[in-house]
Amino acid sequence: MSIPVVWVGTTMTWAIIFLGPIDPASRLLSEGQVRNAASYEAAQSQLGLDTPPLQHYLDWMTNLITFDLGQTWLLYQGSSVNALILDFLPRTLWLGFWSVLVAVLVGVPLGFYAGMRSNTVADYVASMGGIVWRAMPNFWLAIMLLAVLSNSEAILFGFDWQEWWVPLDALSGSPDMSRIGTVDGFLAATKKVLPAAFVLGSASMGNEMRIGRTAVLEVKNEDYVDLAKAKGVSDRALVWKHILRNALVPLVPIITSEAFLLIGGSVLVETVFGINGIGYLFYQAAIQGDLPLVGTLMYVFILMIVGINLLQDLLYTVIDPRVGLEGE
Amino acid sequence: MARRTEARPSESTVLPTGSPALVWGVVAALLVALQAGALGTFVFGLLADAVAVIPAVGPLEAVVVWLVGALNGLQSAASEVPTLLSREVIPNAGYWNGQQWVGTFLGLEPALAWAARVVAVYAYSFVVAGWAVLGYRLYRREYRTANWTPRDDMIDRFRSHGWGLFGLVVVFMFVVMVVFAPALGPTTVDKNMRNSYSNEIQYYDEEAGAVETIVVGEANLGSQSTGDQSRVLPMQYDDFGRFHPFGTLPTGRDLFTFIAAGSRISLIIGLLAVGLSATLATSLGLISAYYKGKVDLGSVLVSDAVMAMPQLLLLIMLTAVLSDTWVADVYSGGFVLALIFAFTAWTYMWRSLRGPALQVSEREWVDAARSFGQRPLTVMRRHMLPYITGYLLIYGSMTLGGAIISIAGLSYLGLGVAPPTPEWGRAIKLGQQYVNTGSWHISLIPGVLITLVVTGFNALGDGIRDAIDPRSDAADQESAGRGGGA
Repeated sequence: MSIPVVWVGTTMTWAIIFLGPIDPASRLLSEGQVRNAASYEAAQSQLGLDTPPLQHYLDWMTNLITFDLGQTWLLYQGSSVNALILDFLPRTLWLGFWSVLVAVLVGVPLGFYAGMRSNTVADYVASMGGIVWRAMPNFWLAIMLLAVLSNSEAILFGFDWQEWWVPLDALSGSPDMSRIGTVDGFLAATKKVLPAAFVLGSASMGNEMRIGRTAVLEVKNEDYVDLAKAKGVSDRALVWKHILRNALVPLVPIITSEAFLLIGGSVLVETVFGINGIGYLFYQAAIQGDLPLVGTLMYVFILMIVGINLLQDLLYTVIDPRVGLEGE
Repeated sequence: MARRTEARPSESTVLPTGSPALVWGVVAALLVALQAGALGTFVFGLLADAVAVIPAVGPLEAVVVWLVGALNGLQSAASEVPTLLSREVIPNAGYWNGQQWVGTFLGLEPALAWAARVVAVYAYSFVVAGWAVLGYRLYRREYRTANWTPRDDMIDRFRSHGWGLFGLVVVFMFVVMVVFAPALGPTTVDKNMRNSYSNEIQYYDEEAGAVETIVVGEANLGSQSTGDQSRVLPMQYDDFGRFHPFGTLPTGRDLFTFIAAGSRISLIIGLLAVGLSATLATSLGLISAYYKGKVDLGSVLVSDAVMAMPQLLLLIMLTAVLSDTWVADVYSGGFVLALIFAFTAWTYMWRSLRGPALQVSEREWVDAARSFGQRPLTVMRRHMLPYITGYLLIYGSMTLGGAIISIAGLSYLGLGVAPPTPEWGRAIKLGQQYVNTGSWHISLIPGVLITLVVTGFNALGDGIRDAIDPRSDAADQESAGRGGGA
């Protein structure tokens, strides 16, 4: 199922870009160059637009499948797209990794806490917070968080985020991925993306909290929990071994399916925080008219999402043996 | 659920007139008449905009031009009809002449005059809403033949669902803001923003001790919010005696007016987008549930492929590709945004509808209708559609919240709604560089409002879901209300 999905998605992208109302060649050139017939035709033939659409489509698809992504036109002019993606992708992955981790580390415990103490004030406060959290626009939350952190000394009672533990040169900006191997570099890069990851993970955090709460509520009423209680299992063991472990099962697909939100939201969050990630690259390519690059990046995104979906299916079979790969 | 088992009362319980419907109708007509002018202006304006969307080709062009002209004429005629809740009846723009306020409502100071108008607008709206609810209950008690219908249970469940009611109230207040946008702002978009240099205001010059006249554009330059030194915070007057409930923008324009006008474009785009994607999702859902097999598989494939492209990125790509076409100019780019959003959002909605639609298609009555010789279209419309409309409401409400976030996110990036038209996301962008300074309100207020409105739509969706299907827990459908991560 995933191969046809990639194929249909990529075909749609091709159709939108090359059959759409915009002439990619003229978008790449400046006003003067469009009127210059020679350079216009050069651009057209470079893009392969002078070949018949079907031929062009086949060429384009073959290039994508073999990862022969060519060169950029406008952004970072003339550099190889492969190199560009390899340069930009790690930052986005780093951001995505931390946002999943932050969301899981904050959302899941909060949800379990709320579920264990259902219908208490703590539960209502946590649930309410999760709901409002989910409704906040990410980009706005990012702006507000940056404002708070940059004034952290005044607002957070003398706590200075920028100098705390690992001093940062600037509050926002790209994490330095070259020194990630060292302890210092690792900490600095982590601290740099942490606010962005927190914002990006906020939507998932609310989700995971809510589902964690429901899962705990459901498991709490299962027969085996009653049996364990009757057997005299201590409260601590009951909670850790019988309730929480089983409540984790429905959370796994949620965590992976958040990838949609993470990848989609990365554009705005990367723009606000000034991180040179792949989402930012996509946005720049789209507004500056480098449509071939947009198409290529979309292909990369489709591959990423389909890959995560596959991973989710695999994880599901590992965690819950009742689910088989064949039976949907 | 408690069912009404007692016998239907034989005579009217409301009024001694014997015809409660007549009384109800007269009051309803009175309520509408108070606002007839504004209603006409809105309806004709909307129609004119809608007609202008039609591509004018060949002989159609003359017709379209004529229609737009006629509708615009009707709109200006309707705007002449006096309405109760307008800035002409309750004016707040006036000036201090040294002794008293001139030109404001009852000589009150502008803040109070503006507050009086806002209170009047909301009081009127809640009365209208209450009257509609009363009408429904009257109908249910006095006129409907059936003593009980399944829908009654849903409505009763919703009435006791506090969270859902909270959502309904928030959404209602937002809709009132949209409908009364021109009357709610302390000034108008036209006077304060579009034609600020062809409108004049009067103000009291303290030093000269006399009333002076100034062009609005000049006054705006003196009321800018650009940091610690020069700022007009919420609930403050600027130097020209103008009241700003939400403060001013960095350009010195009034933020409340900007937001009220922006709410209109957000909701209209959102409704259009959700309406279109709901239509698409429903028809596809019905067709794939009815025919199953290959049709279903094909739909799954297409929707999976659309979902594999992150929604926000697809929105950006399509906005960029369609930016030079004629559709991009309709309604300041709002129409094309709605189309694009519909194209990307139907998949999520269809996913949620597919299950219920498949379940309905397995029922006996669908089989019976089919063997009875009814055509597929009739079976889908009559015997399947009514059972999934409830789900449409749930996901529609949640998608609308997501649409509002997405549209704001796009205009924050500078895409979508074209700049002179107010949009909430742009207010956030405009204030971004001043968040750390004294002019913190520009970004903060629109964001808080978006959060509130989206929470309202999500709560309404939750309430409807619990009312329709109390056993369900649609926790897996959360992404519907997120607008693709904006």
